[in-house]
Amino acid sequence: MAQEAQEAEATLNGLHPKKIEAILDSLKDEKVCKAVSGPWKSRIVWQNGFRVKAYMRKHAIELDEPADLDATDQAASAHEQLLSAIGSCLTVGFVLNATKRGIKIHDLEVALEGSFDNILKWAGHSDSGNPGYRGIKAKMFVKADADEKTLRELWKLALDGSPVTQSVIRGTPVTTEFEAV
Amino acid sequence: MAETTLFPVTVVGSMPRPPWLVAALRKRQAGEISEADFQAVADRAVVETVRAQEAAGVDILTDGEQRRDNFYSFVVEKLGGMRLMKVSELMDYMKDRARYEEVLRALDVPAFAIKSPIVVGKLREKNGLALDEMDFLKKNTTRKIKIPLPGPYMLTRSSWFEGLSDKVYSSPEELSRDVVKILRKEILALKARGVDFIQLDEPILSQIVYGAESTETFMCAALPNRRDPIEELELAVRLMNETVAGIDGVRFGVHVCRGNWSRREDVLLKGNYGPMLPYLMKMNIHQLVLEFATPRAGELEVFKEYRNEKEIGLGVVNPRTDEVESPAEIVARVKQLAKFYDPEKIFLNPDCGFGTFAERNVNSAETAQRKLAAIAAAAQQLRKEFA
Repeated sequence: MAQEAQEAEATLNGLHPKKIEAILDSLKDEKVCKAVSGPWKSRIVWQNGFRVKAYMRKHAIELDEPADLDATDQAASAHEQLLSAIGSCLTVGFVLNATKRGIKIHDLEVALEGSFDNILKWAGHSDSGNPGYRGIKAKMFVKADADEKTLRELWKLALDGSPVTQSVIRGTPVTTEFEAV
Repeated sequence: MAETTLFPVTVVGSMPRPPWLVAALRKRQAGEISEADFQAVADRAVVETVRAQEAAGVDILTDGEQRRDNFYSFVVEKLGGMRLMKVSELMDYMKDRARYEEVLRALDVPAFAIKSPIVVGKLREKNGLALDEMDFLKKNTTRKIKIPLPGPYMLTRSSWFEGLSDKVYSSPEELSRDVVKILRKEILALKARGVDFIQLDEPILSQIVYGAESTETFMCAALPNRRDPIEELELAVRLMNETVAGIDGVRFGVHVCRGNWSRREDVLLKGNYGPMLPYLMKMNIHQLVLEFATPRAGELEVFKEYRNEKEIGLGVVNPRTDEVESPAEIVARVKQLAKFYDPEKIFLNPDCGFGTFAERNVNSAETAQRKLAAIAAAAQQLRKEFA
């Protein structure tokens, strides 16, 4: 009994492998899978200037723009948070897969960067082109108790299974509406 | 401090650490082995490296820094008030995070890979910095002993981090007073134990003088704060002189190199010692332990202006290459200097350590030993010629 309790409480990478295994297993149930699939929601409320607040479930984060743009630079901008979202999602995937395999991670970082293709479109100086990122580079650095081959396998699993990264890579359609109130 | 032998052969400090020692170091850091178990492993490694240096013909040897994680971070275990922190742990305290980001991207390294001892409390000494190393060496060799210690400037600058250190010290100046006090006490204790040579390492001086904006923090988390090089060099001189003031009977050296973290010459700093020499000459020490085995270090002619003012620990082999320099090459290099420098003031050593950072040996133990043997063979020949 004591051993069972010990196993139930055992953690790896700050997670509970047994619990993770059970959660992943539960996704095989259609109802659970549907519930987890979404819809996921965010509501953005304009504050002032270029500053907005994003509300997601019980969480709220601020977004702003750099001071160069006459903004208050109180928070990272939306496009920077897109980079961070990709990096965070890749991290979650890597940690999940490492934990599933019982691999201890000591340190993990993702460095991301991207440059706009045609920022003049955003500024209203150009009618054509893509105002978004021309490309995004993401590099993960990991120190973990496994050989490089295994870690590269985990990286591939994280990349292929990353909802955020794949949304960007696959060009997920964004349907939009507008209403003047 | 005249030597009885001409052209004494010595090392800068570190020797390659065997994989089993690195494994033990990792376990020690993770708290997976006891201190006693680690020291037993390290004892074996020290004996091996001492024997290797003796066999190669080294006259003044070190323990190869086998017990240390690196040449300065080891003080974290020896002093209270310091914590070894990764740059990733410091990110929340950085004032100019964008600048650190640039440095990390230029070096293409993760923030967790750069660690620095950071002052987070009032410095408290425990049982000395290298007294255990000295005691063990004394028992295991009859050769002269060199103990490398982090210099007072590096120890002060690299451990000061705004947002953490300023909670306990009002300024780096105040911290430097404690650093000097601790180093002086250490030096006196080493002297009492019979140390022959104390080398104070100040490699970050070359970063101050030659470091490019984007790559100047190759070892110290605290360095991206760009400072005036002249003021920094003057501070380094003052702290060094305060550290060694009134202490005689020990040979003091200062070691300045341009980085030893990569075998790629193109990523290491370069520039001759010329701009630094007026300041190094003002340090009240006996010897400048310098690198001169690669073109990055510039020409020996810079010493003409300072003829015989100090001993020179001449770097004659590159610790980072597989190719072993021939004794003939080394002899030729030394003769270049001896044309205008007193041979009695020339010591021979590699440019830097063979394993500055525990997890990054820049050479194998075999090659390191062959390089030291080449220096010793060159010294034999030079002694005959200059006797």
